[in-house]
Amino acid sequence: MLSAQNISKHYSCNGTRVSVLQQIDFRLAEGEFVAIIGRSGSGKTTLLNILSTLIRPDSGQIHYHDKELTSLAEKERNRLRKTDFAVIFQFHHLLPYLTVLENTLLPLMGGLSPISRAERERARQCLQRVGLTGLADRLPGRLSGGEQQRVAIARALVTDSRILFADEPTGSLDTATGSRIMALLAELHQEGLSIVMVTHEPAYAALAQRTVELEDGVRLN
Amino acid sequence: MNLLTIPLRNIRRRPLKTGLLLLVFSLGVMSIVTLSQVSRVVGHNLEQQLNSFGANIMVSPHREKLSVSYGGFHLGEMLLEPEYLQEAATKVAIESIGLRERISTVAPKLVTMVRLKEQAVALVGVRWDQELRLKSYWGTTSGRFPRERDELLVGARAATALGLSQGDRLAVLGRELVIGGILSETGSDDDSVLLMDLGLLQELMERPGAASFVEVAALCSGCPIEDIVAQLRESLPAAEVTALQQVVNQRMASVRFVQRLALSISVIILVTASAMIGLSMLSAVNERRCDIGILRSLGYARSRIFLIFCLEAALLGAMAGCGGYLTGLLAADRALGLLSLAEGLTPQFDPGQLVLSSLAFTAIAVIAALYPAWQGARIEPAAALTQF
Repeated sequence: MLSAQNISKHYSCNGTRVSVLQQIDFRLAEGEFVAIIGRSGSGKTTLLNILSTLIRPDSGQIHYHDKELTSLAEKERNRLRKTDFAVIFQFHHLLPYLTVLENTLLPLMGGLSPISRAERERARQCLQRVGLTGLADRLPGRLSGGEQQRVAIARALVTDSRILFADEPTGSLDTATGSRIMALLAELHQEGLSIVMVTHEPAYAALAQRTVELEDGVRLN
Repeated sequence: MNLLTIPLRNIRRRPLKTGLLLLVFSLGVMSIVTLSQVSRVVGHNLEQQLNSFGANIMVSPHREKLSVSYGGFHLGEMLLEPEYLQEAATKVAIESIGLRERISTVAPKLVTMVRLKEQAVALVGVRWDQELRLKSYWGTTSGRFPRERDELLVGARAATALGLSQGDRLAVLGRELVIGGILSETGSDDDSVLLMDLGLLQELMERPGAASFVEVAALCSGCPIEDIVAQLRESLPAAEVTALQQVVNQRMASVRFVQRLALSISVIILVTASAMIGLSMLSAVNERRCDIGILRSLGYARSRIFLIFCLEAALLGAMAGCGGYLTGLLAADRALGLLSLAEGLTPQFDPGQLVLSSLAFTAIAVIAALYPAWQGARIEPAAALTQF
């Protein structure tokens, strides 16, 4: 479904070239749950951002079905993030001035035509699916960290994304809340969603079918 | 719920900040509207006041002239036969032109020479209502302006030269007339003449309806005097119509000065308000890097980010344009009242102007937000999100 070959990425820091990823290969099958693990600064988030088309690698190729993503035009990459890929982050990243329902519908609000009743209903179903029934009209500031992360997951579900990219989804949550989020991700995976998750928690990584371990930008396994 | 929801909600998010920005921009719009309204009304008023200082167009009959010279002795140009305009027909013709609403006063005159106390003096017949409207600067040193048909108004120098004073009786063209008043010195030809009712003079001269010339005062704001003169010439083919260009130009220069001053100040205010919108949007882009990152990670194209900031500026501009126009009208009304600049004249509410003002300030706000919006659209999603 998604595969990457020889992915390399470096950044320039004060004129010095810092290598973040070196010749990384990655593969994700349809419906698979892969965890990317490693210590801080090992390049996990950079790999996730490259796979989810948020940034381009310096070299290497990424294939999603028949498409080569690194050479894809920006318009196509945007479309892919809108329809097939969904990203959730450690800090939830909701727009604080939109309600829970509006945040959930955010991927569908990019046009000037109004959101349809069916889309609104679909968003309510997604909120129900993540256990947020009754909170649709609240602003994110009035939600707990776990609830905010659930909104981000509902937002990922509203477009029927094929792959969910999760960057430390429990990183800012307490253990109990983190466990509930992980349980939710595991359920979604059971329902057929492909997941690529970055984590440094071995317990959460154990929920994945496979782990990819990075150290200093190099894949260990 | 659509893309517009994002800027709308963001505007609502910080009511104090949005309120202050709106207040400043609205004040800018208000100042511009106030200045424009005041300059328009004052310009109109000033022009009317200036027009009260005399005519700016002269209508006179074509004159047949002969240059008389014999044996090297030159007698100058002599009129073969004095010609007259027909007062009523000329007035009708003047009032039938396309720009007739620009004509404020039509003052016909009949001039003849009479001999009084062994001195030749010009006697001028006027229509008092029109003449006094045209020469509102006139005053009397004694007596009053004539009210009766057989009353005379005597110019200051003529009164001195002929030893006349108010209440004296004079035999003029076989009719006894009373001096109703002595005109204050004006520094013009009026000082040397005797003025009387035009109808009576026509009777005494046995020239019913005749006028030697007609003075016309036209309001020139927004239309060149040449257009009025051209229309008068067309309407009065048998007469000579001449614009007193110097008078017109002086009046228009005063009106234009007021309008240019207002325009210059408005431009400065406009540039300042636009810079404020631009700076505010630039700061909003920096504050909302994370929001931009989220939207970009959700597949929003750069053009959509650009549009969000432009829509936000457009909303602010429309609100400020609308609010500023209405408060500007009120402020103009108050300013005119307080400064007693234009008695009886008030700024007029015009729904079309309200719409135009809102559209114009919306466009200005969007133009001011173009650079910040472009900066926002350039932000890479990962760069914005990894800050946190």
